[in-house]
Amino acid sequence: MAVSAVPKVVVPKSPASTLRRNPTAAWRHLDVVLLGCVVAIACLGALMVYSATRGPTPPYSLTFFEKQALYVAIGLVVLAITTLVDYRVFRDWSLFLYFGACGLLALVVSPFGSTSKGAQSWFQIGSFQLQPSEIAKVALIIALAAVASQFRGEIDLRRLCVLLVLAGLPLGLIMLQPDLGTALVMTAITAGILLVAGAKGRHLAVLVLVMLLGAGLALHSNVLKEYQTARLTSFLAENVSEKNDPALAQAKYNVDQSKTAIGAGGPLGEGLFKGSQTRLGNVPEQHTDFIFTAVGEQLGFAGAGTLLALFCIIIWRIWRTAQLARDEFGMLVCVGVLAMLMAQIFENVGMTMGIMPVTGIPLPFVSYGGSSTIAEFAVIGLVLNVHMRRFS
Amino acid sequence: MNNNPRLRLAILGIAIVSLFAALFARLWYLQVMATKEFKSAAVALQTRTILEEAPRGRVLDRNGVVLVDNRISVVVTVDAKKLGDIKTGDVNAYNGLLDRLATEITRYMPSEPIDRAFLEHRLTDPRFSPYLPIPIADDVPKPLELYLAEHHDMFGDVVSVKQTTIRAYPLGRTASHVLGYVGAITQEELNVHTSSPKTYSLGDEVGKTGVEKTYEDYLRGTPGRQTLEVDAKGNTVRELAHVPPVPGDDVYLTIDANVQAITEQSLHDELVNAHNRRNKDGSYNAAPAGASVILDPNNGQVIAMASYPDYDPAEFTKPIPSDRWTQLNDPSSLFPLNNRALQGEYAPGSTFKLVTALAGLRTGAITPATTMNDTGTFHVPGCTGQQCSFKNSGGAGHGRVNLPRALTVSSDFYFYSLGSQFWTQRSTFGDPIQATAQDLGFDALTGIPLPGEQPGFVYTPDTLKAIHEKYPTDYPNGDWYTGNNIQLAIGQNVVAVTPLQLANAYATVANGGTLYSPNIALKIQTPAGVVVGLFEPRVLHQVQLPPEVRGPLMQGFTGAVNSSEGTAYGAFRDFPTWSVAGKTGTAQVTGKTDTSLFVGMAPAEAPRYAGSAVLEQSGFGATAAAPVIRRVLQSLADPAQAPTVGPGGVLSSPAPGLIDNANGAPD
Repeated sequence: MAVSAVPKVVVPKSPASTLRRNPTAAWRHLDVVLLGCVVAIACLGALMVYSATRGPTPPYSLTFFEKQALYVAIGLVVLAITTLVDYRVFRDWSLFLYFGACGLLALVVSPFGSTSKGAQSWFQIGSFQLQPSEIAKVALIIALAAVASQFRGEIDLRRLCVLLVLAGLPLGLIMLQPDLGTALVMTAITAGILLVAGAKGRHLAVLVLVMLLGAGLALHSNVLKEYQTARLTSFLAENVSEKNDPALAQAKYNVDQSKTAIGAGGPLGEGLFKGSQTRLGNVPEQHTDFIFTAVGEQLGFAGAGTLLALFCIIIWRIWRTAQLARDEFGMLVCVGVLAMLMAQIFENVGMTMGIMPVTGIPLPFVSYGGSSTIAEFAVIGLVLNVHMRRFS
Repeated sequence: MNNNPRLRLAILGIAIVSLFAALFARLWYLQVMATKEFKSAAVALQTRTILEEAPRGRVLDRNGVVLVDNRISVVVTVDAKKLGDIKTGDVNAYNGLLDRLATEITRYMPSEPIDRAFLEHRLTDPRFSPYLPIPIADDVPKPLELYLAEHHDMFGDVVSVKQTTIRAYPLGRTASHVLGYVGAITQEELNVHTSSPKTYSLGDEVGKTGVEKTYEDYLRGTPGRQTLEVDAKGNTVRELAHVPPVPGDDVYLTIDANVQAITEQSLHDELVNAHNRRNKDGSYNAAPAGASVILDPNNGQVIAMASYPDYDPAEFTKPIPSDRWTQLNDPSSLFPLNNRALQGEYAPGSTFKLVTALAGLRTGAITPATTMNDTGTFHVPGCTGQQCSFKNSGGAGHGRVNLPRALTVSSDFYFYSLGSQFWTQRSTFGDPIQATAQDLGFDALTGIPLPGEQPGFVYTPDTLKAIHEKYPTDYPNGDWYTGNNIQLAIGQNVVAVTPLQLANAYATVANGGTLYSPNIALKIQTPAGVVVGLFEPRVLHQVQLPPEVRGPLMQGFTGAVNSSEGTAYGAFRDFPTWSVAGKTGTAQVTGKTDTSLFVGMAPAEAPRYAGSAVLEQSGFGATAAAPVIRRVLQSLADPAQAPTVGPGGVLSSPAPGLIDNANGAPD
């Protein structure tokens, strides 16, 4: 007699356990090295902002420290959002983001925007100052990556022009403010994406030539304001007298103070809260653009070198994510983010050490600033997003 | 380039690596290789050193009477730093504040009206450190001080009132030439004083002339040093170190304030007398200026040194207006800043007969007993030209004279004859007058520690020739004739001396032959009373004056004052207590009336004082100069009757001995 075998009941796995055992689950591929480095730098940054703004004598001011800590916290929330929402959603909304950002840029140079230090670059919303140029950088990365990825490595002259127009619109609006630093970063983003997206070598060569000519013309014409020319060329000037050229002398003064602070730090630094240049406020704009001097003076080569090393790791992880990315859009987003951060790091640190011209660019995760800090966290979220979903 | 994204990412990677390499390399350079210079630059940016001027030491006379003191002056100051902050904030508020300040200061001090332009100019004056309050008004009256205090709301912390010390002169103009004055240091003086341990900075007080200059290193206090930590805007963060200022040391002079005041008064009175006096030829004397020096012959100390016209050193405690400075240096003001006692070079006239007499005795050309028949007119032996006879001053002959009597009556004939003899027998005698003059300290600096001393001159045939060749227009005649030697013998023409040299030469005779370099300072004493420096007598050299030489000379000088035929007899009649020795002199100056000179020593037996007086364009020595010395010596001889000097340099009573010797004897 046949004994019918009782089929074994296959107990379906619970959704939770499926997830736990699924090796391709997105959360399993969170890049903790990248996230860890970013959080570490942000904490160091807040401490440096505090050291640069507490004042020379008690009672020490906590205002800037508390605000920066808040920005970092908001940045982490924004990072969570840009990490958790599938990055392809951003691709689908890229043109909406792009034109929204351009609209804000147009609005900020209208009478709605506010002016500070010669540039009309932000909106005053309550106590918060929103800088649309920071949003525009993120939007430009997503939009360029979205459009370029559709060309699948074939970029002829017509397609190149499409991409250049895409980049040119926000760049032009930024120049109206004018904000040379952000324009420089946007140029770097565009260049990075064009390079990796497959623009032809001869096209890139022509573009580089045109840019160099344009820069030369700008310095020798009246397009730039006097202080802008001075800042750009001061790192080349040797003997400047106050009488001959006050704008150049002022720019040179800033760089001299900055170099002095970093150099005075020496191999091991003056110690936290001890450097005289930082404590006495000798470096102009130290908590924002010149924050690297606070690191250099107080923590020395050991501290500043460690900071640069952490930046190296961040850039390496982004570069690696670009290689691992599942699709071309993901790769190009990573390249855009990499170009943006690399440009900011090199220009900012180079400026404080006197090997790059002076432009107002924040050092990512370290400089004091709401919009910039949040935008930087947002783009890291995008990279984490691409890394995390490379199997899904 | 192909379309392989991996290759393109690799290119990107290479770019990234090179950028980071550049950053690390630069960081290594700044923080490891070049850190030393940046560290020192950071320290320099961080600290400011502020010097606080210390009070200068005082100047006192030999008895401790204060001649130069410090007094408190209330000064209105402006904090340039805070004012600058107001200017950046609100230019109208800045202008308003300065206008108001100028108006109020002018209202309370109408004698020195100021305006905003003045204040702005002062605020940028490089003499003042921008880290210290800048003085804008000195010696402000109490009401202004109160007004500023009550209107603190208006002037805020910008304007404040503080006290500073400035030079004060309790005895007014007394001894002004000896004391000198102070003023703000110039860049040239700063360069000279760079190595001084008592750090100078621009705007500091420094001694410009007189004792203030000579003893600058003692008088100047050591500035205090405040090291401040400052921030980027120059605001003080905290004080890092403070070394308080140390006041300068006091200088005690050899000057006796009473004798000084009496000397100045006597000199002034006799100049006035000479000015009002009509000469025998009907002319009036200009009597514009003069000098007098009183020495202690036994140690070379200067007891009194007067020069007229004088000046008020208190004028120099504030920056002196340029028009006033021009006026002080204008020839029509007769150079009141010059100390004629050591800067004035005068023909000595008959006072120089000391030199000629000594030269005669030394060479053996004469003995004390050698007599001549003074006929009143000396004919140069063997002379046939125009300038062959020389008349006595006054024209009259003195009959038979030996050396003492020749000095007593001031026989020109006797010395003309000697001068002529020295020249005609030059191969035997050489140039004995010039040699003796130099032995007695003429034609050389005495070395008195006061600035500006002049050496005078005693020409020889050789030096006259040399100077003629150097300045042919000013000295058209370079040849030496018998007449030159004859003029030299009576202190004319080719010789000039300072009043100090004259007094010093007679002091050497008075003390028996020690030529001192005169001292003006006695000792240096700290404010706490510790003596840190004593000035010992400084001997230049010994002059050979054996009794057989000195005796007849002193006999002649004693006779000049005490003998009824002595040239200074009239000027010293009724002189109490001491017998005085001396010599009158009347020097002819081309185009001007005679210079009146007198040198006295007292008491004649063992002189304690030697003094000279030289009065420009004042007539005979016996008429104008001798009464000056007489009055000074009388107060020294009879201290009970002598006046004392009080505040402002005013004498308690006129010094006794004022006589009108209008008919003084010629010499």
